[in-house]
Amino acid sequence: MPEDAPLIAGHPTFGDITDQISGITERRTPPVWYLALGAAVSLLMVLVGSVGYLVWEGVGIWGLNNPVGWGWAIINFVWWVGIGHAGTLISAILFLLRQRWRTSINRFAEAMTLFAISCALIFPAIHVGRIWVVYWMFPVPNQMGMWPNFRSPLLWDVFAVSTYFTASLLFWYTGLIPDLATFRDRAVKKIKKYIFGALALGWRGGNRQWRHYELAYLILAGISTPLVLSVHSVVSTDFAVSILPGWHTTIFPPYFVAGAIFSGFAMVVTLTIVARKIFSLENIITVNHLEKMTKVILLTGSMVGYAYGMEFFIAWYSGNIYEQFVFINRAFGQYAWAYWIMIGCNVIVPQLFWFRKLRTSITVMFLASILINIGMWFERFVIVVTSLAQDFLPASWDYYKPTIWDISTFVGSFGLFFTLFLLFIRFLPMISMTEVKAVLPEADPHNYRHGDRHE
Amino acid sequence: MKIDRETYRLIDNGKIGSIALTIGLMGLVAGTVGFIIDREQFFHAYLTAFIFWLSLSLGGLFFTMLHHIVGARWSVVLRRISENIMAVMPLMALLAVPLLFGLGDLYHWSHEDIIAGNKLLQGKAAYLNTTFFIIRMVGYFIIWLVLSRLLYQVSLRQDKGHQVSLTRKMRLISAPGIILFAVTFTFASFDWLMSLDAHWYSTIFGVYVFSGSLLGMLALMTIIAVTWRKNHILDKDITVEHYHDLGKLMFAFTIFWGYMAFSQYFLIWYGNIPEETLWFLHRWENSWKIVSLVIVFGHFVIPFFLLFPQVTKRRPGMLLFISLWLLLMHWLDLYWLVLPTLHPHGVHFSWLDPATMLGTGGLFIWYLGRRTAAVPLLPTGDPHLETSKHFINH
Repeated sequence: MPEDAPLIAGHPTFGDITDQISGITERRTPPVWYLALGAAVSLLMVLVGSVGYLVWEGVGIWGLNNPVGWGWAIINFVWWVGIGHAGTLISAILFLLRQRWRTSINRFAEAMTLFAISCALIFPAIHVGRIWVVYWMFPVPNQMGMWPNFRSPLLWDVFAVSTYFTASLLFWYTGLIPDLATFRDRAVKKIKKYIFGALALGWRGGNRQWRHYELAYLILAGISTPLVLSVHSVVSTDFAVSILPGWHTTIFPPYFVAGAIFSGFAMVVTLTIVARKIFSLENIITVNHLEKMTKVILLTGSMVGYAYGMEFFIAWYSGNIYEQFVFINRAFGQYAWAYWIMIGCNVIVPQLFWFRKLRTSITVMFLASILINIGMWFERFVIVVTSLAQDFLPASWDYYKPTIWDISTFVGSFGLFFTLFLLFIRFLPMISMTEVKAVLPEADPHNYRHGDRHE
Repeated sequence: MKIDRETYRLIDNGKIGSIALTIGLMGLVAGTVGFIIDREQFFHAYLTAFIFWLSLSLGGLFFTMLHHIVGARWSVVLRRISENIMAVMPLMALLAVPLLFGLGDLYHWSHEDIIAGNKLLQGKAAYLNTTFFIIRMVGYFIIWLVLSRLLYQVSLRQDKGHQVSLTRKMRLISAPGIILFAVTFTFASFDWLMSLDAHWYSTIFGVYVFSGSLLGMLALMTIIAVTWRKNHILDKDITVEHYHDLGKLMFAFTIFWGYMAFSQYFLIWYGNIPEETLWFLHRWENSWKIVSLVIVFGHFVIPFFLLFPQVTKRRPGMLLFISLWLLLMHWLDLYWLVLPTLHPHGVHFSWLDPATMLGTGGLFIWYLGRRTAAVPLLPTGDPHLETSKHFINH
């Protein structure tokens, strides 16, 4: 059997990896970073402005109308949460599945997860109207004896997403500790040494520390794994526990999870392609890594396609005229354009990745990954809006259109995402140095890959 | 049982084959008697038994394809087991034939007079009609037979020639194969199980049946490996490390099954639409309630806690027990899907339930034993065989 190609190209040593990754944050800040940050912060200001006006004026500034009481806010929430699924999948599930290639991208993806969830959390928080009593979402004991409705999936969302955020944050931080210690040891300025020293929690890299560390990592991976599935399952119940045609269908939980992983991986591909180019990380995040991600995209995209198919078939098979109407209306009604964008981007585009040539083409995967995230946004749009706009009572049917404030809030949320992301890649190791070292041939004492096999 | 250590073939197959064949034939005879005495009961019992063994065989096909697609290495030593299980497909195609005579007893949508008075069934008649049903059934089996035969042949060819290119070929078959599998499996479970109650529908149903089937297949695979181990066959090749991984997979699919079952139940319970809840209500009536609860605890809660600690996964004896239990639960799950249509007011065990199980099962095991005896027990030509033998969990 031919030897597998090494995961990391160019036979770097441990020292090379440390220098390469640490160097990114130690060198002078490149001007392009300032430009990018400037753009991101400007967008963030758009978000702040839009939210400020929303708080001042109320949700009336959005395009919500009578049958469509849920609009862009819930769409954006589900979309961002979905994107946040790749990080924990890569770091926890792929870890348990012994997928060693994950080491090049996991830090990156975990950070993306945290930032995506931060963006997602904005929308349920601001949509309540009276944001100053947003803490009512939590079951806080109070003298009025007033509690949230525990039977409401919206409350389960609060628990599910906040648990997910907490677990992801802990996982990310635990993974960072040895790398933070490296930064501490390499720091030249005293202040930097103190900050990273405090963050590294006294890491010395001794044998005992590593043993504890690896066990902690395994346990966190085990705890995070069910969370990857539970969060989007809970999000799906926001819709599926109702009896609205197009929302109430039993495949929703796994279908939402597959869709979330699908869009999350697409976002990781988009961001890694840009980052590896700008920071010359082509040797660590190789085409091989990207190709593996495209395979996950193909798999999850096909699962999403399966779910669309099942929904359509069962709507017909059910014999329920309301179910049938909703699906025919989705495909051929007033929102048909959105439906076909969804099908095109989510079902057709990933099929490109059946071909090795396209799986290894950076241009193709970059474009496809963006199209997929557009498609996934439209998936939520189709689900939310088409089921509401034409409800059971034809007299109340209406066409839903967003206002400028819907758009500016959504666009602004990218500002938050990219601001956080740019800060992350400037100040923290964007690739896990310790884990990448662990997959180098040097880390294997048997040294299989250098000829003298023990057999 | 004995193995030739050079060729990895069984020299002495033991008596399992002849015992299984005897039981199988006796079961068939008993089944024929049952068919004459009580047609309806016979066909419902037969459908349950048939789907049980077919689902294991399909699980074997899925596992083999999955193994190729992900390029797994740890499971190379186990692959021949799953390949042999999928190679029982021709027998299953043969065993499907009796069902054609029972469509009228099983599916009320197959009666013209019932359709004539039922508006809902008229709407579904384009799909639920006898002709199209049989066409689909033949179609499913053609796809499954072709896939399993292709993969089996290529794998056996690799035993002799050790060509690495064949590994790639098997992967090329498996990738589109798994898509075909997903579609055919789903519609087969709609046709054979969901349409028993033609008014009821659930989009997750195919995935639900699939999750139980794969779990059952993993259990069967474990049982075969542990039986070999007790006879000192491949006990140096299929090590505790492999059992550990099999245990992990069973643990994962126990949870996956629970997730599917819960999604289906919970959303229907919460929505509380009569046309959907009725199906569960039938399974909550009188003694069916006990079966439902046994499934919840026996198919999920108990195996979850049994498989949770590492120690059970690394003890082949324990795993054998858990696997037998899981297979029993898989059968009960299918029984619970099928029989309430015949006995909606409570469980009504019949001697035909075990008789058809033993009849089809005896033949299944006999056929599986013959397949196993005819080929090396390991894919000896697989380039990753050595990696798999020395695989260690860490």
